[in-house]
Amino acid sequence: MKKFAIVLFALALLASPLFAQGSKDSASAAGSNEPVTIEVWYGAAITEAGPVPDDWVGYDILRDEHNINLVLTALPSNENDQDVRIQAAGAANDLPELFMVRRPVLQNLVRQGLVAPVDDYFALMPHRTEIMYDENAIRMATIDGECYGFASPGAIARNEGLLIRKDWLDNLGLEVPTTTEELREVLRAFTFDDPDGNGRDDTWGFGAFVESDMTINGYPGSRFFPLLGAFDVAGLWSLDGDHLGLNVLRPEFYDAMVYIRSLIAEGLVDPNWLSYRKDDFRAAWKQGRFGVMKEQNAAFAAESNYAPFDANFPDGEWIVVDAIEGPDGYAAIGAYDQNYRILAISQEAVDAGKAEKICELLEWMSSDEGYLLCGWGQEGINYVLDENGIPTAGDLGDMAFSGTAGQVYTQLRNMVFYNSDTELASRYPTYTTAVSGKTMSALATLREMQSKEWIPAIGSGMMPTPNADVFRYFEQSLAEFLSGQKELTPENWQAFLDQFDKIGGGAWNAEGVAYAQENGLVY
Amino acid sequence: MTTNKNKATNGSTVVVNAPLNSKGRLGKEIRRHASVYLLLIIPLVYYIIFKYVPIWNAQIAFKDFQARKGVLGSAWIGFQNFSDFINSFYFWELLRNTVFYSVGKIIISLPLSIILAIAIYECTRPILRKIVQTLAYLPHFLSWVIMYGILLSLLAPADGVLNDLIKLCGGAPIDFLSSVDAFPWVVLISDAWKEMGWSAIIFIAALMGIDVSLFEAAMVEGANSWQRIKYITLPAIKPVIVTVLLLKIGTILDAGFDQIYMLYSQPVYSVADIIDTWVYRQGLLQFEFGLATAVGLFKGVFGMILMLVSNKLVSKMNEGSSIF
Repeated sequence: MKKFAIVLFALALLASPLFAQGSKDSASAAGSNEPVTIEVWYGAAITEAGPVPDDWVGYDILRDEHNINLVLTALPSNENDQDVRIQAAGAANDLPELFMVRRPVLQNLVRQGLVAPVDDYFALMPHRTEIMYDENAIRMATIDGECYGFASPGAIARNEGLLIRKDWLDNLGLEVPTTTEELREVLRAFTFDDPDGNGRDDTWGFGAFVESDMTINGYPGSRFFPLLGAFDVAGLWSLDGDHLGLNVLRPEFYDAMVYIRSLIAEGLVDPNWLSYRKDDFRAAWKQGRFGVMKEQNAAFAAESNYAPFDANFPDGEWIVVDAIEGPDGYAAIGAYDQNYRILAISQEAVDAGKAEKICELLEWMSSDEGYLLCGWGQEGINYVLDENGIPTAGDLGDMAFSGTAGQVYTQLRNMVFYNSDTELASRYPTYTTAVSGKTMSALATLREMQSKEWIPAIGSGMMPTPNADVFRYFEQSLAEFLSGQKELTPENWQAFLDQFDKIGGGAWNAEGVAYAQENGLVY
Repeated sequence: MTTNKNKATNGSTVVVNAPLNSKGRLGKEIRRHASVYLLLIIPLVYYIIFKYVPIWNAQIAFKDFQARKGVLGSAWIGFQNFSDFINSFYFWELLRNTVFYSVGKIIISLPLSIILAIAIYECTRPILRKIVQTLAYLPHFLSWVIMYGILLSLLAPADGVLNDLIKLCGGAPIDFLSSVDAFPWVVLISDAWKEMGWSAIIFIAALMGIDVSLFEAAMVEGANSWQRIKYITLPAIKPVIVTVLLLKIGTILDAGFDQIYMLYSQPVYSVADIIDTWVYRQGLLQFEFGLATAVGLFKGVFGMILMLVSNKLVSKMNEGSSIF
């Protein structure tokens, strides 16, 4: 009998996961003094750092002053993994109360009725709405006439630039290229004329990796934008009224492909470009493998990112240059959209009467107290204010908001930042490099990059996406042309376009054109 | 009184005095062997929670699944999801690639695992055996993310070790990971490298069960190493080889999502895209969970049919070698 009891106990113990979910929130939102539990799935500000620590004072403030029991879960850093995580939760009807989501996924969730419209909730957060949710932001989260999320400014627009190794140009006696043919000559010299003078054949002209998506980047992706921009076809979509639609359907795209293919065939592009992931690419330019690239301002010029290059090449110097002009006079660094991070409220949360508390939470996060706490941590521990009221690391060492121990307290900053002057000044301070003693500023770099020529593609993030087969055909075909697996001839190109149209590319284009026209995205 | 006769794995017959139609006696037997049944509980609960309970949700393969409506509330659409999969633009290519990698891995990895197991078993120097075993098992514990980094260091066209050697010999570098000719070999060989040692464990275990006196007798009769392997070792582990082969056939449409997902890129989609990567893009990323489930069912049924047919064939060819 005793043994049987043990067996029963073991069974109950092992079966407990079946019932572990239980009630999602034991305290009802209304009519109870118990704190209201709000689970938030957030996009971590520093993906390589850990989650918000349990001793973060925000938890106590929210519990004591707002009766909110905040539960935080960091989403995976990879966007595809984020999408899978959210959609899997959606399929199980088990979404958290508040979560960060990309628009294509939001559309899926709206179709499923899993997220709630939020039009009525902006009034509950007057301060946050004033600083974060303008007309464009609301439009970004609007689907079929209703707004389904709080879209706040994400990455700063036009924050990437075309960079060239000036020290290599000087070593070889070359000028900064301004046209596609001049660029070809520079790339040749960088590849074949030993620009770093180390006597080894270990440099290439152009460096890139495939950074593609279904909304703005397309294929071969944003790292090739300066080359595509010389032919006016940077970006997946053209929202220019004169040639509205998918750029790949324009004759200029074929010309751009011919140009890029010629650079690859001649060996002027780092041949690892198809295999590199983002981190590999970034390691490569810091190792001095190529002399021309498109890079983001902070990834290039922020202190910790520039340090390895500075140590490897104290005499090395990258400069931001103007967009390269193509044969027809076009020039652009790339296409840009307004970037937004969308926070959505699950329909379950609204049904449970938690919407007001969620708004209270967000409004607190944007208050002076919440903004500083989420953005920089605690004053005196994680930051100090300088004479201009800008949070700085001061002498706080590792616990400073930029230190390895302190940065985890700022993991929620993506939920409160809106690219204010304070944020930019704090985020991108001017500094002196450790080895070469250069004065660097990611903010100055950003302003310089933003001053260059760009193609507006505002609203690309809202454009319809095709099914996976159509997009695979699109990407695979372009990859085969660029890698030389398929010969890039007018006949083969036309055959590709015909087949693309047949399997659904034409319908995708038509849907996109109609959407852009109906939603006022055309300029 | 009736008796059950169960054939034990070593071929002897075990007589169990437990008539299955007698609840009282069965209960008594369970209580008598409670500790053994206790051990059974863990895998049993695992299977119930993770294998049998989800079968209920498999019905969404036949539904236009709407999460808010739930499994029961979603509209019935019959075989529409299956039809969408089978009529998809790349169906035959996906099937071809999936079967190619599965069969290729069996053809390459299985013999290599057996050879490694025999080599380790035959090795007479314990230290060498342990070193080889450890080195062979090690890659199994690396994720494909890490393996990708290692492969990139070896195979990158610009500065990979292998391409450095090719260039040293005067050849042109090969982009192994982006070439349709080279990519399948990269997949098959890297899988063999990663999993060969781990797969060898079951064969080593089977080898350990061989009666040593057989080898001693063979050596007295003058049999050399090859003859001992051919006439004693291989026949002795044949049932295990057949079992492993049949189990692998049952999962022939699982070609290794993690590996392909990490290694593939757009230029090699035509030889790299498998059913699971397609399901990831079309099913999971586009919220087509009904479709994803339909493909899962399709794979399961396909694998089960193949395994049943193979088992029958094995049974006919060599009685006693089949699984059931």
